[in-house]
Amino acid sequence: MTKIRKYAPFTRAGIMESVTYRANFLFFLLGEIMKCFVMFFVWKAVFQSSSQETLYGFSYDNMVVYLFISFLSGYITYSDGSYAIGKEILDGSVVMRMIKPIDFDMCFLFQELGNKIISFSLIFLPITAGVEIYRFVINGRLMLQLPMLFLFLLSMVLAYGINFYFNLSYGFLAFFLKNLWGTDIIKGAVVDFLSGATVPLAFMGAFGQVLQFLPFASLSYTPVMIYMGMYDLPHILFYLGLQIFWLVIFALISKLVLRLAMKRLVVHGG
Amino acid sequence: MRKYLRLHRIFIAQDLKKLMEYKVDFLLGAIGFVLVQAVKVLTLGIMFAAIPALTYKEGGVVVDSWTFNEVLFIYGFSLIPKGIDHLLFDNLWGMGYWVVAKGDFDKYLTRPVNSWFYVLTEKFCVDAFGDLFVGVVLVLYSVLSMPAEIAADINWLRLIPVALVMPFAIMIYTSVKTGTAAISFWTKRSGHITHMCYMTNEFASYPTKIYNRFIKTFITYILPFALTAYYPAIYILRGESVWSLGVTVGVSVILFLLSQLIWKLGVKAYESAGS
Amino acid sequence: MYNNSMIHVENLQKHFKKAIKEPGLKGSIKALFKPKYDIVKAVDGISFDVEAGEVIGFIGPNGAGKSTVIKMLTGILTPSEGFCRINGHIPTESRKEYVKEIGVVFGQRTQLWWDLALRETYMVLKEIYDINDEDYKKRMAFLNEVLDLEDFITSPVRTLSLGQRMRADIAAALLHNPKVLFLDEPTVGLDVVVKDNIRKAIERINKESGTTVILTTHDLEDIELLCKRIVMIDKGKKVFDGELSKLRSLYGQMRELSFELTKAEDMEKLTYAEEFNFADDDLKVEAKGTDVKVRFNTDTASVEEMLSFTLSKVHVKDISVKDADIEEIIRRLYKGGGSAL
Repeated sequence: MTKIRKYAPFTRAGIMESVTYRANFLFFLLGEIMKCFVMFFVWKAVFQSSSQETLYGFSYDNMVVYLFISFLSGYITYSDGSYAIGKEILDGSVVMRMIKPIDFDMCFLFQELGNKIISFSLIFLPITAGVEIYRFVINGRLMLQLPMLFLFLLSMVLAYGINFYFNLSYGFLAFFLKNLWGTDIIKGAVVDFLSGATVPLAFMGAFGQVLQFLPFASLSYTPVMIYMGMYDLPHILFYLGLQIFWLVIFALISKLVLRLAMKRLVVHGG
Repeated sequence: MRKYLRLHRIFIAQDLKKLMEYKVDFLLGAIGFVLVQAVKVLTLGIMFAAIPALTYKEGGVVVDSWTFNEVLFIYGFSLIPKGIDHLLFDNLWGMGYWVVAKGDFDKYLTRPVNSWFYVLTEKFCVDAFGDLFVGVVLVLYSVLSMPAEIAADINWLRLIPVALVMPFAIMIYTSVKTGTAAISFWTKRSGHITHMCYMTNEFASYPTKIYNRFIKTFITYILPFALTAYYPAIYILRGESVWSLGVTVGVSVILFLLSQLIWKLGVKAYESAGS
Repeated sequence: MYNNSMIHVENLQKHFKKAIKEPGLKGSIKALFKPKYDIVKAVDGISFDVEAGEVIGFIGPNGAGKSTVIKMLTGILTPSEGFCRINGHIPTESRKEYVKEIGVVFGQRTQLWWDLALRETYMVLKEIYDINDEDYKKRMAFLNEVLDLEDFITSPVRTLSLGQRMRADIAAALLHNPKVLFLDEPTVGLDVVVKDNIRKAIERINKESGTTVILTTHDLEDIELLCKRIVMIDKGKKVFDGELSKLRSLYGQMRELSFELTKAEDMEKLTYAEEFNFADDDLKVEAKGTDVKVRFNTDTASVEEMLSFTLSKVHVKDISVKDADIEEIIRRLYKGGGSAL
């Protein structure tokens, strides 16, 4: 417990930072959510163009829920450790972190948690409420069940953990590539696609089947499918287990990469 | 004016030299932008795998429809004015994110050059080649792979008026960025407002008819990105919406003047930084 | 009344709106809906004139409004009240024509292009200021000689040392042969030798090109060496305007007595404060081993009295008397808030 208390100031700093820049955050969010609305209309036209009610098991209403909930979970589980760490590595200030008697990755984690608390409290309610009202109007009854909500939140926490360690590992790549801007855009595009954030994996046929087992699906697709009630209980348990598996793998990878990077740092004298 | 063009050329030459120095960064940045677009095109491909053509219905009646090639053409076309603005005038982004807040705008005011123009041309953003490359490839691919009966509708003479209107379409992007960047003269930072307004261009990459009336009006007259993409593209493809060319010129001139006014007032209100 | 001076400043004022934020979450929410503002008068009615060819030291404590005045004079900020006219131009009204006649250097940030080789920076400036080839060559040769740019003219700006960068920045500000040169803290952070070179260069440029120079600085040596006249401001108001020697005679009854003791313990015998009843501000004694410096106000005790008292008490080597430096004067002036003027 005392160990965690050591990191509380980082969380507080993260909260303060988010509160200070909340106006910027809201404008940014509005810009990003615009993309959801674009896809909302595009999918509407796609479903109108089809002779069938559902495409690959998705009705239009499912699709709308998918769009907004995957935006929500993508936003909340997003971690920008790769950029922050990469920057510190490139300008050398990472050394300042390493000489302090605290875990290097934990500082980032707890600071980002502070950010997440604020962004969660600002966007979770409006988006889920909007989605649920939409579903209520369509179906005439409340669709979201409490256990599902709980499992969804659990899955999001796991997704965030995977994201965090994945990005941490990726951030260390800055050591070797000496580039942040380009590699970050590349990562964003690839992860977006493979995680189902742009199109549900179900639309991708056999390729999508394979993707469901890869860590990318654990980042976004799994929590969203749970929220939508697209998985039955055995599936939910299986995919949660898979998430835990990937979380452990990436935590280990990040430790390994950190060690390699430290060695290099020592060799090159930072 | 000749002085300004010469200056712009010097800055472009400088940035190209820099490009040689940082080859890897340029390559990764451009690959990144290509990939972002590739993912979007892939998404379109996946959608179209399930349907024969994108149709828009009102009250169950088909009003209009677009084949995959046409949608690709519209999408690819939208990247061209966007990419050109990105290539030439990207420096405006910095204004709202840090230039004004840190007081770095001072230097633009101590030179005998129009401050807006100076900011505008100081940087030449080579990353934009990614966007432009994808745009041109999509346009060419969609035309070359088009079924003959659709291709027959295209009259290549229509490229002439579109080319004439192109500078005005680019000016829509530049003016939106200018006007929102200038807000920072009062608020210190406005990058996120620029981001929000700029993102509206996402609507413009698809047939405008699929949106509801509010959005349609908004992206045609208020933040008129549809004038940079769907309208000129569909005019080339089908000769539809000739009126939009005139609107593009009118609306973009109004936006330009408005953004210049905000900029001028902003410079007066500029407070620099520190003491 | 029309005034022919190079720089004419009349009742210049700049007000900033500052948001008042109450503490705590409640304060933040309040500020979000009903922001309250305070008007801060950073510059509050300053007037002065500068003749062509003068070098003026513009000084004052931190936050006094120096930079704000400079930014108004250079056309960066628009005055809230009053005006300034430089060589017949109102800066913000005809900015583009006006800035062709001035050069500006901000010590804290460079105006050069970070990634360009220095020579190319000057090529860009040549275009910006429409300098013809012949003038450019002549001017470059002159600046090269005065500021010694040769060694690093082909290096990118980002690789220059601070001293080199400052020389490069000054050259950039002078390329178009401006009538007025504004220097904001030009020697900040530089070592002694570089400072000296830069001061000499400024002096030469002033003499040879007749450039009027406005210099703000914290380094009082800059002022002692370069400026005949100083304008001092504090809290947005002018507190002194005149020759350095006048400031000295007003506040500078201070003299400095320095000598070397034969025995360090003798220091105890030198009880100046008790002997002459000095007020706290009027006496400052510094002793490092056997080296002693005594600064004192001649209103309280004359140089003669001090000398004879010292010599009667202890044995000394190398005794000398000189004017106290301006730092002391300004410290005293600030303490009084300039109310004496």
